[in-house]
Amino acid sequence: MRFRSDPAAHLALLGLLGLLSAAPAAGAPDDGPAANIAPVQLLRDSIQAPMTISYVGQFETVRFSANHATATIVKVEHRAPALTRRWYVAPEAFYGDYTIARGGSTYEFDTKSSQVVVSHNPTLDNQLSAIGNFGRVLQNYRALYDGTGSTVADRSTFSVVLINKFTGERAVRVWIDRETKLVLKKEEYHANGSIASQTRFEDIRYTSSLPDALFSTDVPAGYARVAGQSVALPSPDVERVIRDAGFSPIEPKNLPQGFSVAGGDVANVNGVRTLHLLYSDGLRSISLFENATGAAADFGSLRPKTISFEGHDAQYVEDGPTTLLTWKEHHLNFALVGDLMRNELVEIAKSVVE
Amino acid sequence: MNQHLSADQLVDFIRGELTPQDDALAHGHLQTCPSCRSEYELEVSLTEALRAAARAEELEMPSAIKAAIWEQIRAAQPGPLARLSAFWRPALALPALAVLLVGGWFASPYAPHGPAAPTIDASYYLEAHAAQTSQTPLSEHSGSQAIETSMADGSRAPALVRQIDSSAATVAFDAVP
Repeated sequence: MRFRSDPAAHLALLGLLGLLSAAPAAGAPDDGPAANIAPVQLLRDSIQAPMTISYVGQFETVRFSANHATATIVKVEHRAPALTRRWYVAPEAFYGDYTIARGGSTYEFDTKSSQVVVSHNPTLDNQLSAIGNFGRVLQNYRALYDGTGSTVADRSTFSVVLINKFTGERAVRVWIDRETKLVLKKEEYHANGSIASQTRFEDIRYTSSLPDALFSTDVPAGYARVAGQSVALPSPDVERVIRDAGFSPIEPKNLPQGFSVAGGDVANVNGVRTLHLLYSDGLRSISLFENATGAAADFGSLRPKTISFEGHDAQYVEDGPTTLLTWKEHHLNFALVGDLMRNELVEIAKSVVE
Repeated sequence: MNQHLSADQLVDFIRGELTPQDDALAHGHLQTCPSCRSEYELEVSLTEALRAAARAEELEMPSAIKAAIWEQIRAAQPGPLARLSAFWRPALALPALAVLLVGGWFASPYAPHGPAAPTIDASYYLEAHAAQTSQTPLSEHSGSQAIETSMADGSRAPALVRQIDSSAATVAFDAVP
């Protein structure tokens, strides 16, 4: 499969980057080690770095829930601009599984069940949207250097923190390789300041000599090829999406400051027409799903917990910064997913009223 | 009643065959007339003596005859109509009718629960959210980030589900029991 390239989109992207570079930085450079470069520019460079930098390495992720944490260790080979192979070292349940990403297509090789799941997500290929969303980040967050940085995977880094303009809380801290501008470590924080997730490279080596065979998506003998989830680009025309839903949805009246509707789509899920509205403040996102056919969420083995608000029960599961909350109200079934704490999602759910 | 009871009236009284009014009059007379009372007791004792004599002379039916009679009864199978009429005896008919009515109600479109409503796999919500937020800069769902996680490209959302589900298979730190 060939990486999709759109010259017009690249020109627009370069123009947009130029405009953003000329704009005043949201956070002025302090006396940090990178005084000659604005932290906003550093972040912008870090987002674009994987398009030009190839590397191999191993990273570890720890995701924190309210009373639980899970860790994953992954080896990665990345050839710029858009070929990435990740294979899982830990936990044991994933050991030997690997994924190959080619632009917006992902091939998931499940060695336990001998199948290759092929998924398509055009948003992964849409750098223009990514840059557009970076503008939304700058609207709601201030970027500041945070201390003097440190060494991550034997690489010297700059540390930049993003502070929510409305709450004053830090949301994300990243450690950026001084030379390549690649993000080598990242911490995400809950609204109360606690860490939601931490990801860091244990080791990394920059190289451009990665053989094609590493990124082969040929289906091995004895494996079945299975179609995975294919995602449509969220439409910015939310009014049209709501009309397409075929029922009268209810939107939340109260969102955290900085959040606004970012798009939506309508999908047929298990025969159920499901409306998906996406809200974002640039860094964090909330998805609200609604259906009018009485289709409740099937948690399977996820072991949801029950919470009550506004006189009815709701069920939720948490994983690191992501929480899923489902309930039924006004003859509609709702599912709210967000990188927010449970109490924040409940407050949003309470505002879903006619 | 001032007149003495006749023999027939006395026998009918003993057998309980008088009208209630005559029975009451006879009973009252026997309480006040020693002559009729004596006749009454004589009649009662004579009746008891006759019954005792009859029981003494009673003979057992020969076993061969009894067996032959039972064989005749068992051989006489009831016809379909006879069986149907037996089925509809109230002791069976009422429960059967109740079962039919309840079954009919749940099979009808007016039943409170018809076919099972469809459900949506909760992992769909997590996957769709992760996929649609992959444009978010610096998000762990972002595909443009060098720093990656198990959900870096969105398509690994099932891995998230497996992580939640398979705590024994993850490197987990339980902060609270």
